[in-house]
Amino acid sequence: MTPQSNAAITAQNVTRKYLGGSFTAVDDVSLDFPEAQVTAFVGPSGCGKTTMLRMIAGLEDPTQGSISVYGEPVLGPGPDRGMIFQAYTSFPWLTALQNVEYGMKIIGIGKAERREKAERLLQEVHLGHAADSYPSQLSGGMKQRVAIARTLAQNPTVLLMDEPFGALDAQVRWEMQEMMIEIIEVEKKTVIMVTHDIQEAIYLADRIVFFTRNPGRIKQDIILDFKGGKRFPQKEALLAEPGYIDVERQLFAWMREEIQSG
Amino acid sequence: MSSSDVRQGDKAAVVAQGQRTPKKERQKQFLRLLTPVDSKQTAIYGVLGAAAFFLLWEVGHYLTPEESRRFLPSPQHVVGTLIRLIEEKNFLADVGISLYRVIFSFFVATVIAVPLGVFMGCFSNMRALINPILSGWRYLPAASFIPLLLVWFGPTDTQKLALLFLGVIFFLVALILDNTEAVEKSLVEAALTMGANRWQIVMGVVARAASPAIVDSLRNMIAVSWTYLVIAEIVAAQDGIGAVMMRAGRFLKVDIIMAGILAIGILGVLTDIAFRLLAYWMFPWNRKRRG
Ligand SMILES: Nc1ncnc2c1ncn2[C@@H]1O[C@H](COP(=O)(O)OP(=O)(O)O)[C@@H](O)[C@H]1O
Ligand SMILES: [Mg+2]
Repeated sequence: MTPQSNAAITAQNVTRKYLGGSFTAVDDVSLDFPEAQVTAFVGPSGCGKTTMLRMIAGLEDPTQGSISVYGEPVLGPGPDRGMIFQAYTSFPWLTALQNVEYGMKIIGIGKAERREKAERLLQEVHLGHAADSYPSQLSGGMKQRVAIARTLAQNPTVLLMDEPFGALDAQVRWEMQEMMIEIIEVEKKTVIMVTHDIQEAIYLADRIVFFTRNPGRIKQDIILDFKGGKRFPQKEALLAEPGYIDVERQLFAWMREEIQSG
Repeated sequence: MSSSDVRQGDKAAVVAQGQRTPKKERQKQFLRLLTPVDSKQTAIYGVLGAAAFFLLWEVGHYLTPEESRRFLPSPQHVVGTLIRLIEEKNFLADVGISLYRVIFSFFVATVIAVPLGVFMGCFSNMRALINPILSGWRYLPAASFIPLLLVWFGPTDTQKLALLFLGVIFFLVALILDNTEAVEKSLVEAALTMGANRWQIVMGVVARAASPAIVDSLRNMIAVSWTYLVIAEIVAAQDGIGAVMMRAGRFLKVDIIMAGILAIGILGVLTDIAFRLLAYWMFPWNRKRRG
């Protein structure tokens, strides 16, 4: 695969081994991620989705192959690639507002601008009312909103999310998904998200990369053409879209193949 | 009567019993699992427990034969002795010296242990370098250093401070290392992805996240420091609570010995409360919400 000129991220022949090389978590994966595209990594657990995402974040190194962001090789983590984890990572000793300011402080944004932007971003994630609360006073969904705002505050070119709503209950997850649609519309970032929720993947993504395990490889790489480039502020509108059910059924079929192949 | 008749009879009995207690209620138990007590109950239980202790002591005093009662003086006598010591024997000066010894030696131990523990907790290679040689010391009783410290420092204040210091430093480092390693790795990774440098992460994330646990460790270890006080002040000491107790022991003045024990107990509880208040004040974000 040759890198496309408009690719924000390029992964070339990326392999990641563990246990002294005896276990291959990700095997020879090559992918291009065009600018402003939303990609979902889907697949059975243990197929290397998290490993792939962490290598793009720079939290882990490929054993072989290379990853670059706008042509620059990834040599470690950096604020150009914001990451949102499944675990709640808002700092408990900072208020919601201070958490959002933290990332901006790290990259040297001045105090006045920091405050102003943090307040605006908290509004954007519907958390303006809780600016002065500590994370211990917030629910799981609210903590994730803080983490999202904190990441966006650094204005990263790439947004990486590893099952960001996986620990939330169904109703909160739904609210978060609809909020993500708003954010994707406003921020127009290149997004890669890992999810095990097939509906979530179809709702949020423009493209789904389906992984297979043992070793972790790409099974299918599909563009969700049926959406016609539209994003649906309300999730039920997506379900009514012709073609939706075919995609969902297809993904379930692939997932079953994976489960049955052990 | 055949065996089947017996079985039928049993069944009837069971049914009858069920009818006798038609409404089942959750049993009110004195010892109930997972049941918190409110602050009022906590206070009542605390007073009850203390009252029971002093009552037992009092009873013990009166059960002791008349001629040896002075070896187990009554609680009010011990409290009276404590007050008399303060008023007539300038006991507060000794208390002050003991307090200074515990606090100063503990302060020095803290200033060394906290950075060292956090440093080892953050960097595994530094842990691998330092921890093996450090952890062995924990198995030596502090009292075994007394002869050495006497040779090095003589019967000085420094010798006492050094003993108190050695009594806690190795445990303190080990506890703070644990506290540091218990910090969620995802917090560090989040800071890394935001571009924080090592220094910002060690000081601003790991140390911050571990700080409530560290203050808890300090609170627990200062109690240990109090337990070493008497050992430190028994040998070659002229002043301090331990020295007063030792002198009293030579003249079989049990009431003064017990007054010393009481004083150390009170001081220990006070330092504990001080650390709790410190933690409450330092970490408003970590206050447990009461249910
Ligand atoms: N640090 C590690 N050491 C050993 N094996 C690992 C490590 N991290 C991940 N793995 C293994 O690599 C495989 C892929 O893991 P992961 O990327 O977390 O999968 P997914 O996110 O798709 O569920 C799994 O089998 C996992 O056990
Ligand atoms: Mg995963």
